[in-house]
Amino acid sequence: MNKVYSLHDAVAKFVESGDCISFGGFTTNRKPYAAVSEILRQGQTDFTVWAGPAGGDWDMLIGEGRVKAYINCYTANSGYTNVSRRFRAAIEKGELTYEDYSQDVLMLQLHAASLGLPFLPVRLMQGSGLVKYWGISEEQRKSLEKVDDLKCVEIENPFNPGEKVIAVPVPKLDTAIIHVQKASPDGTCIIEGDEFHDVDIAVAARTVTVTCEDLVSDEYIRRDPTLTRIFGQCVDAVVHCPYGAWPSQCYNYYDNDSHALKEYDKASKYQDAEDAKAQLQKAAAKAEKAAAAKPDDEKLAEAAAKAKKAAEDAAAGTVIPETFKDYLDKWVYSVKDHDELLDKVGGSRLMRLKNEPHLGYSTRH
Amino acid sequence: MSDYTKYTKQEMQAYAIAKNIKENQIVIVGTGLPLIGASPPKRAVCPSCHPIVESGLMDCSPVGVPRSVGDNRFMAHCAVQWPNVRFIGFEANEWLHDADRLVAFIGGAQIDPYGNVNSTCIYGKGDYVKPQTRFTGSGGANGIATYCNTIIMMQHQKRRFMEQIDYITSCGWMDGPGGREKVGLPGNRGPQMVVTDLGIMKFDEKTKRMYLAYYYPFSSPEMVQENTGFEVDVSRAELMEGPGPDIIKLIREEIDPGQAFIKVPKE
Repeated sequence: MNKVYSLHDAVAKFVESGDCISFGGFTTNRKPYAAVSEILRQGQTDFTVWAGPAGGDWDMLIGEGRVKAYINCYTANSGYTNVSRRFRAAIEKGELTYEDYSQDVLMLQLHAASLGLPFLPVRLMQGSGLVKYWGISEEQRKSLEKVDDLKCVEIENPFNPGEKVIAVPVPKLDTAIIHVQKASPDGTCIIEGDEFHDVDIAVAARTVTVTCEDLVSDEYIRRDPTLTRIFGQCVDAVVHCPYGAWPSQCYNYYDNDSHALKEYDKASKYQDAEDAKAQLQKAAAKAEKAAAAKPDDEKLAEAAAKAKKAAEDAAAGTVIPETFKDYLDKWVYSVKDHDELLDKVGGSRLMRLKNEPHLGYSTRH
Repeated sequence: MSDYTKYTKQEMQAYAIAKNIKENQIVIVGTGLPLIGASPPKRAVCPSCHPIVESGLMDCSPVGVPRSVGDNRFMAHCAVQWPNVRFIGFEANEWLHDADRLVAFIGGAQIDPYGNVNSTCIYGKGDYVKPQTRFTGSGGANGIATYCNTIIMMQHQKRRFMEQIDYITSCGWMDGPGGREKVGLPGNRGPQMVVTDLGIMKFDEKTKRMYLAYYYPFSSPEMVQENTGFEVDVSRAELMEGPGPDIIKLIREEIDPGQAFIKVPKE
């Protein structure tokens, strides 16, 4: 059976507003950015999210207000942005409905989903805030159709009376999206390098969309079955999407685009131009206060003058720093599809990201 | 800076980490300072140690400096590429088997006298649901602090060392002796020390409270107390000598030549 779709058609058919959804990949590695961009362009929203170790993928969707409930264990483009900035801002403003589990527990929950378990007992999170505090209250949970009624429950181990363990719910995923190195039209996938939780969510989710670097024939992908990781019958759509994890890494193919990740780090500080003006104003006031407290400190005075200029320039509209909205306009909304994105990034830049086979990463970008 | 006889606070901290890794130990490292600290032992001091990361990459020996625990730089130079759930199972089974081979580095924003660590959020005027400052969340730290002996990396500041922290992400000794068992955590695991840019804190065997074990050539017990938000016993403190030029040369020229995590001041 041929499951090959264009990126547009796969996302249109298999990603619906309101879905309970999970993405593969790990912070800045093999994240399905091309599919994320297509979701942003098409407008699907109100996702209930089992995020796993997330980065810019979910940060962009949070910044665009597409997330109804965010189940988190870690959100950062680590090494570039310590805490993803739209995620952070949304929580600090009280605009994001979210829950925290530890990464261990969340990954085990996704694994339990792949095993079809009814619930999961763990000897983790005990004594910590992860059990004590609930981001989504019991009452709120009842009104959220795709969120379990309880975050966790302390139970006694029936096989070891007296031992307290923590029971957690098992995700019920509508949709999984993963990016892999090789896939064939029948849905069979080869993942090179660490599979992360990708196989788990591919088994657990009702519909699975795979984007791949190389689309190969069903015969070719079976040449060495020790390499295949996902049974084709788990997969609904296969999309040929070279550099589909850009700007994150893809093992054996390419490295992080550090320029893009640094650009996103800076731009995502500000939601939009208005936010940039307000934040620069605030920063200028703070710098002025610091300088006034130590009038003899030349460095503080210099910093205050610089901050004042930046705030004035932004207010006058002469120099406004790049914002999150600008970044998305530039790299997501102004291109109609992934091909246009690759043209925009440019051939030489993409070639510099290519893994150097003797190293397993690139030193040229 | 080609003068290898001078070193920075961060280099001292990395060296202090390196000194605490023993032969054949399995070392859970994150990115940043712990990775730099674990690299000299792997390369020079203690090649028999086995660095592993929470994404599931085992016995890592990266050539380039990785920026995340899932980085291609770890993946390309390791023994086994396990999925994360195998890593979790491995650390739990090490405890179930009573093996004492693991040591783990974790970091955080706040720490209390019993080594409980917060890497989730700072409340300010708000609360957990709407905090003043939000961080990434637990990542692998909670599970690591459950099953492994840990070495905690912190910047030594009053606002980080607090009698009462806002949120416990990774459990230390909880509220003192027996505290871990009370909440269902392995009692024979827990924080061993806190390595900061001013010294090394350990935990009193009887009270499980933090005390100053070592200060550095450029710090003093008084400095440590001044920068700690609770009373810390400094009566047992000893001076720890700084790294020799060979270690500094190794860090600057081989382990982090691009200064991704350890900045070297210009002369």
